[in-house]
Amino acid sequence: MTRYLARRLAFALFLVVAVSSASFVLARLAPGDFVTESLGSQASRQAIERERARFGLDKSIAAQYRAWLAAAVRLDFGRSMQYDRPVSDLIPERAANTAILALAALLLATAVGLPLGIVTGSRPGGVIPSTIRSASLVLLSMPPLLTSLLLVFIAARTGWLPIAGMRSASVPAAGAALDLLHHLVLPAAAIALPLAAMMERLQAQAMTEVVGEPFVRAALARGVPRSRVIWRGALKAALRPVAGVFGLVIGTLFSGSFAVEVITAWPGLGNLMLQALRARDIYLVAGCAGAGAIFLAFGTMVSDLALAAVDPRASETRSDEGSAP
Amino acid sequence: MPSKQALLHAKSTPSRRSADNFDRATSWPVSRIPIEQSRRILFTIALAVTVLVTACRSTPRPESNTPQTVRRGGELTASIRTEPASFNRHAARDTSTNLVSNLTQAMLVRVNQVTQAVEPALAESWQASDDRRRFTMALRRDVVFSDGQPFTADDVVFSFDAAYDEKSGSQLSDTLMVLGKPLQAAAVDPHTVTITFPERFAPGLRILDALPILPRHRLEPALKAGTLRKAWGLDTPLAEIAGLGPFVLNQYEPGQRIVFVRNPHYFVKAPDGTALPYLDRLVVEIIPDQTAEMLRLESGQLDMMTSQISPEAYAPIKRAADQGRVKLYDLGVSRNADGMWFNLKPGAFAGDPRAAWLQRDELRRAISMAVDRKLFADTVFFGAGVPVFGAETPANKQWYWSGQPQTPHDPAGAKGLLATIGLSDRNGDGMLEDATGQPARFTLITQKGRPNLERGAAVIRDELKKIGLAVDVVALDFSALVDRFVVKAQYDAIYFNADKSDLDPGTNPDFWFSSGSAHPWNLAQKTPATEWERRIDELMAKQIASPDEGERKRLYNDVQQIFSEHQPIIYFVAPRIYAASSSRVINVTPSEARPQLLWRPDTVAVVH
Amino acid sequence: MLGTALVAIGVTAAAAAPVLAPHAPDERFAGMLNAPPTLPHLVGDDGSWHAPFVYRWRLVNQLEQQYEEDRSQRVPLAWLSQGHVIQSSDEVNAPLLLLGADSFGRDVFTRLMFGARISLGLAATAALGAVLAGTLLGGLAGYAGGALDDVLMRATDFVMVLPAMYVALALRAVLPLVLTPSEVFFLLAGIFAVVGAPFVARGVRAIVRTERRLEYAVAAEALGATSARLLLRHLLPAARGFVAVEVTLLVPAFIVAEATLSYVGLGFPDPIASWGTMLHDASTNIRVFADFPWLLSPAVAMFLVVLGLNLVLQGDRSAAAFAPEALRRTSP
Repeated sequence: MTRYLARRLAFALFLVVAVSSASFVLARLAPGDFVTESLGSQASRQAIERERARFGLDKSIAAQYRAWLAAAVRLDFGRSMQYDRPVSDLIPERAANTAILALAALLLATAVGLPLGIVTGSRPGGVIPSTIRSASLVLLSMPPLLTSLLLVFIAARTGWLPIAGMRSASVPAAGAALDLLHHLVLPAAAIALPLAAMMERLQAQAMTEVVGEPFVRAALARGVPRSRVIWRGALKAALRPVAGVFGLVIGTLFSGSFAVEVITAWPGLGNLMLQALRARDIYLVAGCAGAGAIFLAFGTMVSDLALAAVDPRASETRSDEGSAP
Repeated sequence: MPSKQALLHAKSTPSRRSADNFDRATSWPVSRIPIEQSRRILFTIALAVTVLVTACRSTPRPESNTPQTVRRGGELTASIRTEPASFNRHAARDTSTNLVSNLTQAMLVRVNQVTQAVEPALAESWQASDDRRRFTMALRRDVVFSDGQPFTADDVVFSFDAAYDEKSGSQLSDTLMVLGKPLQAAAVDPHTVTITFPERFAPGLRILDALPILPRHRLEPALKAGTLRKAWGLDTPLAEIAGLGPFVLNQYEPGQRIVFVRNPHYFVKAPDGTALPYLDRLVVEIIPDQTAEMLRLESGQLDMMTSQISPEAYAPIKRAADQGRVKLYDLGVSRNADGMWFNLKPGAFAGDPRAAWLQRDELRRAISMAVDRKLFADTVFFGAGVPVFGAETPANKQWYWSGQPQTPHDPAGAKGLLATIGLSDRNGDGMLEDATGQPARFTLITQKGRPNLERGAAVIRDELKKIGLAVDVVALDFSALVDRFVVKAQYDAIYFNADKSDLDPGTNPDFWFSSGSAHPWNLAQKTPATEWERRIDELMAKQIASPDEGERKRLYNDVQQIFSEHQPIIYFVAPRIYAASSSRVINVTPSEARPQLLWRPDTVAVVH
Repeated sequence: MLGTALVAIGVTAAAAAPVLAPHAPDERFAGMLNAPPTLPHLVGDDGSWHAPFVYRWRLVNQLEQQYEEDRSQRVPLAWLSQGHVIQSSDEVNAPLLLLGADSFGRDVFTRLMFGARISLGLAATAALGAVLAGTLLGGLAGYAGGALDDVLMRATDFVMVLPAMYVALALRAVLPLVLTPSEVFFLLAGIFAVVGAPFVARGVRAIVRTERRLEYAVAAEALGATSARLLLRHLLPAARGFVAVEVTLLVPAFIVAEATLSYVGLGFPDPIASWGTMLHDASTNIRVFADFPWLLSPAVAMFLVVLGLNLVLQGDRSAAAFAPEALRRTSP
């Protein structure tokens, strides 16, 4: 087990380094740089050259990358050119906000999508399953941008929820957690709904397949109550493919939250990343990409462990060490 | 024993995989209602849509009749699109940094955006020398910074030093230079300063509207160390930032909002003696998305947008205004219009067969004739726009040349003009070719994500297609655009804006002079590339130095005439500017200059 | 049945767009910006019956984009004229706008049909690529296990986490400024196939991994099946259901992603119509939900196509509902 974990951690580290490096190089290759973006169209060429030298952007990509890598090894991830703050300060505070959002969305999506998928998959006919299925397909056809806009629009018209931001401007300390939850509903729902739809579809498909298995029939024939058969026996087997993509879900949560964060003005990593990209703030870009890689590495590890939990036959540790889990 | 084949094929039968084929009826209670699955699905969709639609129609909340007396106190919530890059005006020049600076700092003089007059601020009065190169300014007495420290002439001198310091490299230094040379500031006594211009400069003190007067006692160490630009960054403890402006920074939540509170030591008083500003608190929310911003305004969660309303947003805001929830301000025509220009750098198209016609005056004049400006205004601004033909719009009442020739919409004439430079339809396909048979085609770059620019470029493309010119519109993001335009000068044509901040053309030398860094069609020339640019250089030099207002106007009219003959930039339509605030905001002095409702923040009040 | 019908309608609309659609996709009608749909009527105001006709839209307020029906005149529809199946008889003043007009005054219905060509074609090509690549990679990873599995999965992780925007932006720098639509098409199909493959790969890998240890697979191996045969004939088909669902997830995602990529300049240039860019333009319009809901028709079209695809790939349930079933319900 420990050897397995160590290997996964090593790979995770490699992934983070690879993704950050690739983002660094790609952002540097992109036309324009921070100086052109910040000085704008009315700057003289001399001013641009001067500023470039100040930020070290006149060096070659290779030299700059080497310098960055050397500093990163010492855990110095550079300074953001836009905000003039260390990258290692900016990212954790935003990442925490995104983590809150992502976690809430994930919980909501799983709590809604999985059971609905089980219901739809275990009884294919009927009004309820077809309602659920059409709802899922509607949500899948709507781009996340549109879903969030629709929710914002509804929130604005009904006045039930605050439209944007993470916290209110003036709120007593006692009510801070409640205020956060109040603001969390809209963006979490915007991310969770399409995600729930995706999970529902996957789960429904998996359930349908499992329900045809002989062991299910056998259990029923033995007189085991149907609900027990579904929720105990069939479920575990049907969670297989969903657990397999769970890691991807976590990873895409991160990238899918971009549009939502922008529209609901949620001060998270997605917002920061888009800003950094637009401003060609390469150190921040590399930092954000690295943070995203950490999210994904963590997510895939969780997903692989989940897969092992629901299906011991697929346990990775088992296959490595050949002993009982 | 089953055959090998049978065993191997055992898993291939589709029956296992599809739920259809297993005997559902014996295991599950299947619904027996014989309605088609599909109809049920459609019904549920219809139901969902109806529910959604009815939920969206809510009754408007009527606003009560609000009294108009201006009282001190209350809180206002405004919005900005992007976070400021710094709290230090010398470190960045984005609109958000500018707003923070205007709220927390004060200047020697201010330009009244409505009357365009120079008004006293920290300087009470001033005397000009005979040659109008030296101004002796009497500073207000008994003024203190927000931290209680007294304001003296030393702070003024310090502020000038900060702007010109080479090591620090302030973003403001270019704005405060006259013909490339700095101003000299000297303290005569603690309450008198002399400002000396290096050359005769007719706009005079107007340029001081951009210079914030910073506290020497706080920032002198940074200036001496050459790190002034790094001072007052976003992670500075807010108590360290002091200023002479109406508000003080109170709270900063990164990515979310900036909160300002009243500066108790602010030196301006209302005519009736009330200490300004009227507002107790000013909350500036950071909302990147325009739709969310507008919805918040409509629903009352926001009091004011600091940017103008885009044309599409006009209708819902008007509806809200009719219901009394929102106030709509019609601020007249904008002083800036977007323009299209070609890369007129000599040799830019060397080796390209299109060099024969791409940089010609006739091409630009033909384009100006070919584009229907009314259609342009209708499509891009939904009719809320005014055709313009030169660098000034009617908003610039003082300097707009009323004799500006208005190019008629004449596609046939345009085609004729193009024929004179060798472009005609030689093969009958409806598109023009040059003498060698190459199609007349060029690329027009513009900025992605700005609807006015993208729509405008689309209209240009479609209008030019009608006279046979093929245009490829490529929308690039800002960085890439500046890279192509400023750094590499590798483009055919660009549709973009060259906004001016002050209306006096003398404050815009970088645009007018051929050596200027913002002379878009051919940046920073060592010597004028064309005769007419040389003439403009001469006229503008005289215009900037002349003390006689009438002569200045005549000279500038001549400049606009030359511009009109050669059309280095083709302007089409200037939009009307609309702004909105909630109905509880009163006593606003609106102007079409940015920020339209908050350029004079100390007199804004709310009903409470 | 319904599923096949929906998909067939989508494909026909795409294929026959130049004939079925009343106008050209870039044809702009001045004075009709964001005009509402012109609904065909059969009954006039006086109660008499006529051949199908429409009313003209009159612009009441330009800045607010308010229109009013001009009921004084009936404009009959023209059939099979000028190479189009259906048009209005007075196209200049009263164009037939079955789904209204967009913010440039272009017919949404026409753009929907022409957009189907690009969006459905792109999504189908990309989905095919993603499925092929993903199934192959996932199958290999799940089958081989060990180091190969690790490497392949980490590679898919890498592709997944690398923000596509950065790649697109960098590509924009390297590629020439002006790309022909077919160049954009293949570029996008390639990018999407690469981006979509990891999702397929992960799920297939999980399934193959488990199936590999089931009795039938072990038995097949014992009986001498080669790895390739085992993989292709037994293990991969077990993932068919998952792949089918994944396709219905990828197709709308690709259509939408095409619009997102146009943010960095890698999309189809205006005025080419595609469902992604149409939806993107709709979402940037503040008034879309309250006043111009017809601009959201690509989302509805997408939903119908995905629904059809879903029904086709997962077996049409409506047929099964009628299938003669054995009748006793077993308790409980």
